[in-house]
Amino acid sequence: MTAEGQRRRAFWQILLFAAGLVVLTAISAGSVYLVNKARGDNKWVVHTLEVENQLNALLLELRRAESGARGYLLTQGENFKADHEKAVAEIVPALDRITRLTGDNPAQRESIEKLSAAIETRLGQFAQEMEFVRQGQLDKAAALVREAAAANTTSTISREANAMIREEERLFRLRSVNADNSQTLAASLTGIGSGLVVVLALVSIWLVRRSARSRDEAEARLRDSNVNLEATVDERTADLREANDEIQRFAYIVSHDLRSPLVNIMGFTSELEELGKDIFRRIGGLTGVPAGGPPLDVAEVPLEDADKQMSADFSEALGFIKSSIARMDRLISAILNLTREGRREFQPERIDTRDFIEAIVSSLAHQAAEAQAEIHIEPLPNIVSDRLALEQIFSNLIDNAIKYLKNGVPGEIRIRGRTKLGYAIFEISDNGRGIDPRDHQRIFDLFRRAGTQDKPGQGIGLAHVRALVRRLGGTMSVSSELNAGSTFTITLPINWNASNRNADR
Amino acid sequence: MTLPVTIIMIEDDEGHARLIERNIRRSGVNNEILSFTNGTSAMKHLFGPDGTGLAQKGNALLILLDLNLPDMSGIDILKQIKENKYLKASPVVVLTTTDDSQEIKRCYELGCNVYITKPVNYENFANAIRQLGLFFSVIQVPPAAT
Repeated sequence: MTAEGQRRRAFWQILLFAAGLVVLTAISAGSVYLVNKARGDNKWVVHTLEVENQLNALLLELRRAESGARGYLLTQGENFKADHEKAVAEIVPALDRITRLTGDNPAQRESIEKLSAAIETRLGQFAQEMEFVRQGQLDKAAALVREAAAANTTSTISREANAMIREEERLFRLRSVNADNSQTLAASLTGIGSGLVVVLALVSIWLVRRSARSRDEAEARLRDSNVNLEATVDERTADLREANDEIQRFAYIVSHDLRSPLVNIMGFTSELEELGKDIFRRIGGLTGVPAGGPPLDVAEVPLEDADKQMSADFSEALGFIKSSIARMDRLISAILNLTREGRREFQPERIDTRDFIEAIVSSLAHQAAEAQAEIHIEPLPNIVSDRLALEQIFSNLIDNAIKYLKNGVPGEIRIRGRTKLGYAIFEISDNGRGIDPRDHQRIFDLFRRAGTQDKPGQGIGLAHVRALVRRLGGTMSVSSELNAGSTFTITLPINWNASNRNADR
Repeated sequence: MTLPVTIIMIEDDEGHARLIERNIRRSGVNNEILSFTNGTSAMKHLFGPDGTGLAQKGNALLILLDLNLPDMSGIDILKQIKENKYLKASPVVVLTTTDDSQEIKRCYELGCNVYITKPVNYENFANAIRQLGLFFSVIQVPPAAT
């Protein structure tokens, strides 16, 4: 799983979430709007029904008024009259209500004006009719009734009222459809939106599951690779250890096998030397006596000049051979000692570093006094390490510091210490002759030295020290300038842990 | 001492063998020196054709042994000599280039009588051998039969 892919997926998840939110908001807003609209539509439907209702009630009251009037005309019964008057009293408020209800519709308003006019006319007729009946002029009243029945007032009323009812019915149908549509729309909007949200949720769940799965896979892979890494490290360490052991064995065997012929070379060279002495003594004996005389005691005869020269050349040649052999022997011994050190098992113990360094310094006191050097020991951290190895490290470094001081300048050697992150850092600095930065690597190589070669040495000390420091699990470095003193820094673990090289062997 | 002591020298390097012999002679030891340049022939001589060591029964032997042999390890030879009932009384002088303390310890543990490291410095070498020669002239070597 690449970082790019993860970023893209996270982006998609956020996008999905945002989309879900937007859809939900839209659905809510749409639903609220549509529900309001449906309510409005329903109100209009109710309104229409109300208008229709009122119109029917109006017509009913008209009929009641009419039938009341007719009953009064026929019987002059007071109850008919009362009935009529009650109906008439209902008509005007009903008409007003209708006018108010239909105020929004221009077509209806027109109709209602006509209806009102007709009803007014009709009410006038009723009043006149009733007046005639009360006065007893029944003929006139009957004539009026006939006239009214013949006139178009009644038909106008019923026509207009019917027109209005039809109009309202049309509106009712229209509004019903509207209301239905609104409701359908609201329902479908909610349905579609919910579906969409569900789909988005499903996609989100799928994405989350996929990312969780890929995370699990990545975790598993990480775990595997960690395990593999450890195995690989172990394997490499084992390989390195094996290679190191092999080198050590190799160095050991080689130095031994080199020593054998060296014993012969040295032995027979010495034999030759003895032989040479005998030969030259004899030559002296032979040349120093007159021919035919008895041989003299060979030891006491001086050689002639030419023979003397030959003897000197012979000795010189043997001398070179012998000094070379001695040198070679020292080198081989040095390698042997190094490999032996490399095979020694460390014995970690708690070391009071100050006491320890003071002991080393006092063992070097004679050299220090000779070189007019002062050694200052500053506070040092205590560590757990191998005493013998540390002794070799510090005595080599302090010895070097004393050895390579500037001629004629009183030496000042300082040993400092501090701790950092579980490591103790020791610094051994001097004001001696210093080391050219070009030689900083070289001085740690076996048999290599730097600077003026006026002191005895094999070029082993620092190589040995560095090998020891490494085996103790530390590092060492040098900082120095020519003629400006040197500082050797050693970093060693404060506590002895299993990862130290002791477990190697 | 009725039988003269025979010195058995097991040394693969002929130069070393020659130097050792010369210096033994210089110290005045005139015993017979039998020189072997590899372990196999030395073992054959010591243990006889049947490998029991019966062949050496009654002989007084002093064994000079080098540890680095081409065909077998000197340590093995030392071990077998010290495990053989006819040979185990014979003194064994290990004379070798190895100066590893572990090796030296092991040799003494196996029953070696003297361990000498061959020094490269010839004077020391000659000295060591001559002193060994003096040692040879004074020690009593029991016959191999017990």
